[in-house]
Amino acid sequence: MNVQTPVRLSAAEEAFVGQLESAGASAAAERFRIIGLPTRRVESYHYTDLKTLLSAVPPLARAAKGASAPVIDIPGAYRIVIANGEVQNSGTAPNGVIVSKVAGATLTTRDDVLMRLNSALVSESVSVELTGHVDAVVHIDRRMEGDAAHVQSGAKIAFAAGTKATVIETVSGSDAAHMGNAGSYVSVGEGAEVTHILVDLSARQATHFASVEYRLAANAKFKSVVVNAGANLARAQIFAEFTGEGTHGDFYGLNLVDGEQHKDITLDVTHGVPHTTSSELYKQIARGRGKAVFQGKINVARDAQKTDAKMMMQGLLLSDEAEILAKPELEIFADDVVCGHGATCGDLDDTWLFYLMSRGIPRAEAETMLIRGFLAEIVDAVEAEHVAQALGDIVEVWLGKAV
Amino acid sequence: MSDYDIPTLKEEIDRETVDQVLALDVDKYKYGFETIIESEKAPKGLNEDIVRFISAKKNEPEWMLEWRLDAFRRWLTLNEPTWARVSYPKIDFQDQYYYSAPKSTSGPKSLDEVDPELLRTYEKLGIPLSEQKILAGVQDANGTASTPFSGNVAVDAVFDSVSVVTTFREELAKHGIIFCSISEAVREHPDLVKKYLGSVVPVTDNFYATLNSAVFTDGSFVYIPKGVRCPMELSTYFRINEKNTGQFERTLIIAEEGSYVSYLEGCTAPMRDEHQLHAAVVELVALDDAEIKYSTVQNWYPGDKNGKGGIYNFVTKRGDCRGKNSKISWTQVETGSAITWKYPSCILRGDGSRGEFYSIAISNGHQQVDSGTKMIHLGKNTSSRIISKGIAAGFSDNTYRGQVSAHRRATNARNFTQCDSLLIGDRCGAHTVPYIESRNSSVVFEHEATTSKISDDQMFYCLQRGLSEEEAVALIVNGFVRDVLQQLPMEFMVETQKLIGISLEGSVG
Repeated sequence: MNVQTPVRLSAAEEAFVGQLESAGASAAAERFRIIGLPTRRVESYHYTDLKTLLSAVPPLARAAKGASAPVIDIPGAYRIVIANGEVQNSGTAPNGVIVSKVAGATLTTRDDVLMRLNSALVSESVSVELTGHVDAVVHIDRRMEGDAAHVQSGAKIAFAAGTKATVIETVSGSDAAHMGNAGSYVSVGEGAEVTHILVDLSARQATHFASVEYRLAANAKFKSVVVNAGANLARAQIFAEFTGEGTHGDFYGLNLVDGEQHKDITLDVTHGVPHTTSSELYKQIARGRGKAVFQGKINVARDAQKTDAKMMMQGLLLSDEAEILAKPELEIFADDVVCGHGATCGDLDDTWLFYLMSRGIPRAEAETMLIRGFLAEIVDAVEAEHVAQALGDIVEVWLGKAV
Repeated sequence: MSDYDIPTLKEEIDRETVDQVLALDVDKYKYGFETIIESEKAPKGLNEDIVRFISAKKNEPEWMLEWRLDAFRRWLTLNEPTWARVSYPKIDFQDQYYYSAPKSTSGPKSLDEVDPELLRTYEKLGIPLSEQKILAGVQDANGTASTPFSGNVAVDAVFDSVSVVTTFREELAKHGIIFCSISEAVREHPDLVKKYLGSVVPVTDNFYATLNSAVFTDGSFVYIPKGVRCPMELSTYFRINEKNTGQFERTLIIAEEGSYVSYLEGCTAPMRDEHQLHAAVVELVALDDAEIKYSTVQNWYPGDKNGKGGIYNFVTKRGDCRGKNSKISWTQVETGSAITWKYPSCILRGDGSRGEFYSIAISNGHQQVDSGTKMIHLGKNTSSRIISKGIAAGFSDNTYRGQVSAHRRATNARNFTQCDSLLIGDRCGAHTVPYIESRNSSVVFEHEATTSKISDDQMFYCLQRGLSEEEAVALIVNGFVRDVLQQLPMEFMVETQKLIGISLEGSVG
């Protein structure tokens, strides 16, 4: 009955298909040819229409020659470098940390285009196993070096039962129009107390995608922090699943957007078992002509009685040409739960500005103070002192360019 | 209250509850009867000839036929939307009747010649506000005797697809108000129809709206002239009657500068097994300083307790606050239909315009509701308010899907959204999917949503005061939806409170 015209592949889509074929992933190439890049009609990419946003794909990365200086230096941290997707030899690991290389990618099979690309194109990943109390912060430092390249990388982080540790992953590299696609699979054992931080600091012209999967076992205390502070186009997608009772998860995130940037944080939390709790706090700040996107979904499964989940998104719009787009969702199948979400969006409060200015603080400074206060809630969530300091510095750099 | 009164009162309440339960069992849908009237219908299926047939039946001018054909051709190029959180077997659009009119030998103005079965249908429907008297009054009005209006409601009754009788027409005409069927408006007020039809919901807006544009059979047309405050609530009762007949209503309401109108829409449908398709389009246009209040109580057949049968309700409702300081307010109570796909929206184009959306959506049994609103802020100083209360029981799924967006020039736009969901039982689902899009820094949007069950404290409090579990649930739910109930016109409030109790029947215990 319908007279439809077949969909034509865009240049970027053709490039992906070519790269998948050259990597020997013919099944993935065939599938990609049919499905292509998501448009706004794909619900999980509603505000990040990759078909429109991606005009070109740089060639697949080759081994990096030389590396740029570390983009953030955390005193006392143990650093593992992945340059252009290749796991580099790192020094002696601290007690309780075992680092090895594993073949192939680390993500599970989820119906997501970025994750499928990652699974098809990553040839080796780093595996980090943590046990006991690990005092040193583990820093996985992903680099995109040399000329513009399409860099795929993978990491598997396993926190054994009872582990206490902090792992930070950063993405950075040379000043070129790279395209990064990083996958992380994180498992948190029973009773572990763990913080996992993901920071995008890639080059201004770069595109960066990150996908993280969390599996949280029983009685764990878990914290996730994601900061988007680089790349012209960035998307961080977080999939968290509570698989054991008695676990609490805190999820924080920050989208720092200016210029023509487009940054997306997409969160999907599944409470799959009873008696788990979570809180989600995401902040977005946009100026210039930037677009800040937050999509957050809390799923509560049929059996997940007594779930308590609260999600909050706060947006601060500093220019009339910037945009804040948000979609906080609840999908609930259990009846004995308390779930809620809130979302706000606005400018700096005039009365607060007036208060500060009436005390002799110049306008620009007053604005900076208020913005710093707005963002502090995320930075302060990180307990590891040097890491919090590093995140604070990222915010300061952004503020320096700000008002 | 004295001691003497309490037992009597208690007894009375008990008896009332028992009666209600008996009368309104989940299986025995109150409005599930079928009126046997001969009806005239087009053959099954949809093609250009059917579109021509409908147009010819309606004595439509050439331009209207062209409009329909254009819509039909565009419809062929569209795909059915799949994004809503509903699932149902694929609809065979060629297996539907697209036109059905009650057989009537004379013009609809004379009630004498209206099939007595039809009048009995109204009786059974229990149309409020002395509808029977109003109908009788119209009969008397053939003479010179003036008709004492027993209520302030004008009813445009839609029986299947043709407006059978329109009451209060003359009273309204005195104020210059036009309230008639859309078919009549096409013939008698072509300029207004040409100017506004499809101006809020464009022909190709979505799959169902396009289908409606091609085959709409009837609906209401309201025109309120400049500065007129409509002296009564206008009301339409929709009723789907003939087997396998899709009903495609088209409503167009135009409020000129400084005018006001309150429009009520209430629906019931008879019980049957085949799924029935309903794809209505409602367009509202509010010019400078005008206000339109549109209230709906939707209580179509939801299917039986196994999820068999029931109405598919795919509706496009949109209001355009075209003028400055105009206001459009949607209030809806959704308790019926197997599937509801409905998003009454406001386009806040005029500076200072205001949109409101108040909704109660109750789903029980195997019902699926995906409903919400869109508030599109285009003008300066526009404001909107969304209060949505979803209640899911049984095996149902209840989704709120709403969009609030402010465009570049929407300086100082404000929105407040509150959507609360209540879950009764552990086999149902409640979902919230808001889209919040801000493109102007002076905009302030606030959104909050909660999902919970009836708290044990509340239940305990009610039970220890001697209420039964079912009464307690009805009481608490009525409290939960109170903010929205208060927005309903008086005529609907009583009916709705009753409906809420009925809809949740069998959800506890």
